[in-house]
Amino acid sequence: MAQRILICDDAIFMRTMIADILTGAGYEVAGEAESGLQAVERYKALAPDLVTMDIVMPDMGGIDAVKAIIAHDPNAKILMCSAMGQQQLVVEAVQAGAKDFVVKPFQPARVIEAVQRLLG
Amino acid sequence: MSDAQRARYVALFAAEARTLLALGRRTVATWQREPDEPAHGAELFRVLHTIKGMAASLAFEELADQVHEGETALARVREGERTADAAWFADAEHLLDALTVRCEAEIVREGGPAAAASTAALGAARGGEVVRVEQGRLDALVADLGGLVTARQELERRAAADAISPVARAALAMARRLDVVQERILQVRMAPLSEILERIPPLVRDLARQLGKEVTIDVQGEALEVDRGILSLLPDPLLHLLRNAVDHGIESPEVRRAAGKRAAGRITLVARHDRDAILVELTDDGGGIDREAIAARERAAGRLDASATLSDDGLLAILARPGFSTAATLTDVSGRGVGLDAVLSRLHQVGASLSLSTVPGRGTAFTLRLPMRLGIVRALVAGVGGERYVLPLTHVAELIAWDPTEAHQVEGRLMLPVREERVPVLDLRRLLGHRGSPPPTHRPAILLEANGQRVALLSDRILGQVDAVVQPVDRPKGMPRWITGATVLDDGRPALMLDLASVV
Repeated sequence: MAQRILICDDAIFMRTMIADILTGAGYEVAGEAESGLQAVERYKALAPDLVTMDIVMPDMGGIDAVKAIIAHDPNAKILMCSAMGQQQLVVEAVQAGAKDFVVKPFQPARVIEAVQRLLG
Repeated sequence: MSDAQRARYVALFAAEARTLLALGRRTVATWQREPDEPAHGAELFRVLHTIKGMAASLAFEELADQVHEGETALARVREGERTADAAWFADAEHLLDALTVRCEAEIVREGGPAAAASTAALGAARGGEVVRVEQGRLDALVADLGGLVTARQELERRAAADAISPVARAALAMARRLDVVQERILQVRMAPLSEILERIPPLVRDLARQLGKEVTIDVQGEALEVDRGILSLLPDPLLHLLRNAVDHGIESPEVRRAAGKRAAGRITLVARHDRDAILVELTDDGGGIDREAIAARERAAGRLDASATLSDDGLLAILARPGFSTAATLTDVSGRGVGLDAVLSRLHQVGASLSLSTVPGRGTAFTLRLPMRLGIVRALVAGVGGERYVLPLTHVAELIAWDPTEAHQVEGRLMLPVREERVPVLDLRRLLGHRGSPPPTHRPAILLEANGQRVALLSDRILGQVDAVVQPVDRPKGMPRWITGATVLDDGRPALMLDLASVV
């Protein structure tokens, strides 16, 4: 069975692009979230195998969402999606429990590689 | 990424960037009122950041760089290195304007949806969860609905003949429910004018800056909704008229001051309901169109009699002519793009019309009259001889019973007094070349209003109103352009649809 991924980003554009990359590589999109709050709710409801998490989102940013998800499931696999110039925030996200990060604009190969590594 | 994929991303970018820029503008406005609320700065940052991410993904490098500079300036305020004072807010507004212009340019360059994006309405602002639907699916839904509405009218007609049978009662009950479904389906195709109108002020301000003019723009009525098919036709004519208003209408600040006007010209764009139509009025307080200069040119070219004057309507017909230009030399701004004739012909096809009123020294007003819907329109059924015709209500002002003794010939034209005014009379029989049975003694007149003019249209009978499902007709050469389509009436027989805005 295909592994299921929850995509969290406030831009439909980004969610579509990530979904295209992931489904192209045989993964299944378990669901999408457009705010940090929604990301936490959907994680609890969908129990996905992996989460891609944007940092700047309305209603709870990505970092707080990572903290909340890890508090709920310490083994959650979260891949941060950050823009250039957000190194400090990425470090904070990794300290909060995120496992890896990719940088926008996305290189599809780089995204797939990171997902494969996390899902083992 | 493939071309098709890129086109899809560009369409998403168009819809989302526009929504975000509008949000950014609202955020700056609120922030100005509540300068101590850090949430506004955070929101503006999110807007810029999201646009930057999308721009970088599509390799719109200059746009991404420009947004990045904006982010940097914003960061200084958020980190307390700079105060958000009036000058800073003005810069922020300017940045959002410039970004809007650049986004639109990128979208156009990609051949993307310059008009209302099919995937627009992404904004979460209107409450409830928003889903995206392909335009093609909506069109198919309305096309299918058309067949159903026609079938239902037939069913209703048969049921009416036998109103007490249980089958007839059930049929009528179903027809009433279908009314609701029809309304809801048509609602799905409706979108607020704000999708277009919100993008206008930044474009106008940017234009004004390029041309060294001072212009304030005021937009009202954005919440009104029209069919997406109509909405998507609006940007071209509106931008065309706005460019001309800024370039040729509004005078330079020096000229305005000398004429005793405020240095800043004022453009208003107001949308409102009028009967079964939406009016979009674009007004400027500039110098007005130089009617005499244009008339002189027309006379010199032998297109206008020496003694004749130009009405507003005649003026509009000249302005709309392919290749027309009022300025001695075209400026970079209004000289480019499609001509007014091209944008108007697309509007006429959906039953819209444009009118003009201009006063020297005071300014110019253009009024676009738009149908609210496509596909299924509210229409009047008129009988002429044994034939029936349907007329969309967009341009119908009222029905008048009249007495032939009230009409008078004025300069060879039959005129009918309607309250304070004399209105020229047009006979549908003559227009349609109807021969045969003589007309009835009492003939109702339909008062049509379009392009700022009114005309009393004589028919033989008024047979009621219908929801007409518009079907395109094959157009043999020489077919008048006011025959806009056909529809099937409740007895299953076809009728031509006439949109007489162009003959008014």
